[in-house]
Amino acid sequence: MIKITELQKFYRTEEVETVALNNLSIHVKEGEFVAVMGPSGCGKSTLLNIVGLLDDLDEGSYLFNGIEVAKFNERKRSDLRKHNIGFVFQSFNLIDELTVFENVELPLIYTKVPAAERKQRVEEVLEKVQIMHRRNHFPQQLSGGQQQRVAVARAVVNKPKLILADEPTGNLDSNNGNEVMQLLTELNEQGTTIVMVTHSEHDARYADRIIRMLDGQVLMETVG
Amino acid sequence: MIKNYFKIAWRNLWNNKGYSALNIGGLALGMAAAILILLWIQNEVSFDMFHSKKDRLYIAANQAVFNGELNTWFSTPKPLGPALQAEFPEIVRISRYSSMGPVLMTVGDKKLKGNGIFVDSAFLQMFDFPLIQGNANNVLTNTTNVVITQSLAKRLFGNEDAIGKTIRLDTIDLATVSGVMADMPGNTRFRQAEFFMPWAYMEKLGMSDNFWGNNSVSTYIELTPGASIDDVNKKIRDITIRHSDGREDNEVFLYALPNWWLYTKFVNGKMAGGRIDMVQAFLFVAAFVLLIACINFMNLSTARSEKRAKEVGVRKVAGAYRHSLIGQFLCESVLIAFIGGVLALGIVWLSLPAFGELVDRRLFIDFASPIFWVSFLSFILLTGTLAGSYPAFFLSSFQPVKVLKGTFKRVNAAFNPRKVLVVTQFTVAIALVVSTIVIQRQVQHGKDRENGYSQNNLVYIFEEGLVAKNSTLIKNELLNSGVAESVTRTSAPLTEGWSNSWAFSWQGKRPDDKTVFDRFCADDHIVKTAGLTLVAGRDFDLSTYPTDSLGIILSESAAKAMGFEDPIGQPIQDNGKDWHVIGVIKDFILRSPFEPIPPMVIEGAAGWFNAMHIKFNPALTTSEALSRTEAIFKRYNPEFPFEYSFVDEAYRQKFEETQTYGTLAALFTFITIAISCLGLFALAAYMAENRTKEIGVRKVLGASVFSIAKLLSKEFVILVLIACLVAFPFSYWFMDRYFLHMYTYRAPISWGIFVLTGTGALVLALATVSSQAIKAALANPVDSLRDE
Repeated sequence: MIKITELQKFYRTEEVETVALNNLSIHVKEGEFVAVMGPSGCGKSTLLNIVGLLDDLDEGSYLFNGIEVAKFNERKRSDLRKHNIGFVFQSFNLIDELTVFENVELPLIYTKVPAAERKQRVEEVLEKVQIMHRRNHFPQQLSGGQQQRVAVARAVVNKPKLILADEPTGNLDSNNGNEVMQLLTELNEQGTTIVMVTHSEHDARYADRIIRMLDGQVLMETVG
Repeated sequence: MIKNYFKIAWRNLWNNKGYSALNIGGLALGMAAAILILLWIQNEVSFDMFHSKKDRLYIAANQAVFNGELNTWFSTPKPLGPALQAEFPEIVRISRYSSMGPVLMTVGDKKLKGNGIFVDSAFLQMFDFPLIQGNANNVLTNTTNVVITQSLAKRLFGNEDAIGKTIRLDTIDLATVSGVMADMPGNTRFRQAEFFMPWAYMEKLGMSDNFWGNNSVSTYIELTPGASIDDVNKKIRDITIRHSDGREDNEVFLYALPNWWLYTKFVNGKMAGGRIDMVQAFLFVAAFVLLIACINFMNLSTARSEKRAKEVGVRKVAGAYRHSLIGQFLCESVLIAFIGGVLALGIVWLSLPAFGELVDRRLFIDFASPIFWVSFLSFILLTGTLAGSYPAFFLSSFQPVKVLKGTFKRVNAAFNPRKVLVVTQFTVAIALVVSTIVIQRQVQHGKDRENGYSQNNLVYIFEEGLVAKNSTLIKNELLNSGVAESVTRTSAPLTEGWSNSWAFSWQGKRPDDKTVFDRFCADDHIVKTAGLTLVAGRDFDLSTYPTDSLGIILSESAAKAMGFEDPIGQPIQDNGKDWHVIGVIKDFILRSPFEPIPPMVIEGAAGWFNAMHIKFNPALTTSEALSRTEAIFKRYNPEFPFEYSFVDEAYRQKFEETQTYGTLAALFTFITIAISCLGLFALAAYMAENRTKEIGVRKVLGASVFSIAKLLSKEFVILVLIACLVAFPFSYWFMDRYFLHMYTYRAPISWGIFVLTGTGALVLALATVSSQAIKAALANPVDSLRDE
């Protein structure tokens, strides 16, 4: 599903050029659950952003489902993203002014799903993450774990083929963290590909495969 | 999608009530100010544009060279109109127009004053002043017909039918009501008129003449459809010259109705603006105030960008295109503009009566007109788009990678758009302050000018009814009873120039000399009554020198203009009479305190009289003197109400127009400053918040509260200084071009004004900013440094 070869990514300031990702190649098959680990600054979040088409790459090739997307413009990336990729962030990133229901509904609005279908699909996914009873609450009225479940619901409501999770349990206590990991595992079992960046060895054990990075390169891969 | 936009916009407003109030309030205030000005402008440009024949109506004007300069004026001799109509087939109708002044109207026991106008019978056929009763073709055919406005009819006759009823005019003649017309609209140059009478009545009163040199009435012309104004103007040019056998040398031309109100100023024969200058100036002001309010909106919106950044990121990740985000933010600003607009409409509705009074216009909002609603909604759309454009492009440009990972920090660059906005805002505010001060100083400049006479205890009373006939008796009684120190009959109030002429002749006058002299008449003791300063000769004194009835007192500049080395005893001819100079006085201000004083000739008791000036005995209180004067007037002129004016009050009215501009400028300046300070306050709060970490580090490293407050305030001081640099030359140009050029006697724009304004702006900016700066400086650094 994801085939990245010889990826280079630099960050430039006026005087210094920092190499964020150096000649990196990875391959993620459809239905896989991959965890990316490594110390702060090793480039794992940059990699996730590039995989999620939030950031562009300087050199190399990125085949998404066999299509070269490295040179896509903003609009094409946005189109690909909204139909194929869901995101889960460490800090949840829910919109405070929208209710739980409306937050989850947002991606469906941008993919122009009709209102009746939207309602049905949102309710379905809220049931799945067991937050249906809080559908009319605003994010601040929820606990961290509940907020992250809403974020997961939002990530999957469009039935994406790929979910990218950036330290999804980083702001949660272990109970809530486990619940979220459980959710991700279930999604994976139902066929969704997951790429997760994490600092937690515990969380990484949920994955099929662990990619360990250092200084913008893949250090080693272990199969779980 | 749109529903979603408005939903989130509404919740954003609701959840940040303080911010929303500032934002909407500022916008509403700016919009209200702009709407008020636009209503005024709309009224000004609509003057007399409602006449269905407006493209065929003209006013007759004259041009002639005076002392090397081509002068243009709009008063014409009385025979001009009939002559034009008789001689040129292109001219279908004419009407002369001459004010009767306030006329005492008596119906039974009811007495009131109405403003009457003499017109030719075609007047109501030329102009669209609809008759409610009567036929425009014949209401003014009989000599004593009178056409009255509806409200005058109501005041005179109550709810009775006015047609066929009689009104006694000034205790002399009975006039018969032949027509009732709708009240004059507020946007016509004829709006003061309350009743019209036929020209024939003016002739009956002996007030008309056929003298081609007496330019005293307006002449209105209606051309045939399709007539070429250029051709007509070529043909009529020499009509006055022909009819006066060359004694008058002014050329006549017709000036089109659409220009009558806004373009009335001519310089050397060329049209040179007029009211249009003020319309343009205030259009500028309206645009400025609205711009300021929009800038405020931009500042407040972008200052909260960090708050919105996450939302932008999430939406982009969820699949939003940039243009849909721009659309969202524009929807939001249009919503805010809409709320602001509704609020503004409320403010306008409440303040319109007071504002109308201030600008002396009947302003109103035509809520029934679809044009109003279309323009109102366009105005909201325009404001919303203008105010929302920058925030929309700014906010939608955020990259989700940055905002969602918390690495989002705005750079504090030397040149960022928000600073440019603040500079623009302050530039406008400072320019307006300078303008206000310039106007106020101009008023003061005129007031400070030496007027040349003494206005203390001096009143004048118009000679109505039997006053002229009984003037000697009244005068004697006022003097003998000790009410008055001195009494003088005059041709006009001392504060008004009613007559001028270039037709005086004296020994040694060059044949081409067309110097215009103010002509004033006073029967006796004018120097004493008005407290004038004699520089040669003596005052009129009829009891000692009966020949003073043909005496003349010259002003110093008149004596100079006539070239007299020894003016006393010099003969002067005017109006077919032989006068002689008996005294010379220092110049005094008869007309405008802002213009040079023209040379002046005061003719003695053989002149004509309209007013009586009374210098009260200073030993009496004013109310005592007034009540005793009233008793005397009631005795000799019982039919008329006793009405008087204080000369000093009348003089003060000369400043009213300028003062009105001053008040308006002050009002809009205040609004602008208020809005600007709101914006600055919000911006300072944002900057302080943005730099919490920096402040924390500095404090940990030992910075004092004062040094941090200074650090944060310094930036704004620089912005204000830049604004000063832009505003000063601009306001200098603006005021010179649009305001001071109206006055010859000007208060110079001194550097002191700029120093004062600059200091004021700095102090105000510092006061606004420092509270935020000090708050930030006092904060505990532990709080700001902990969450990294």
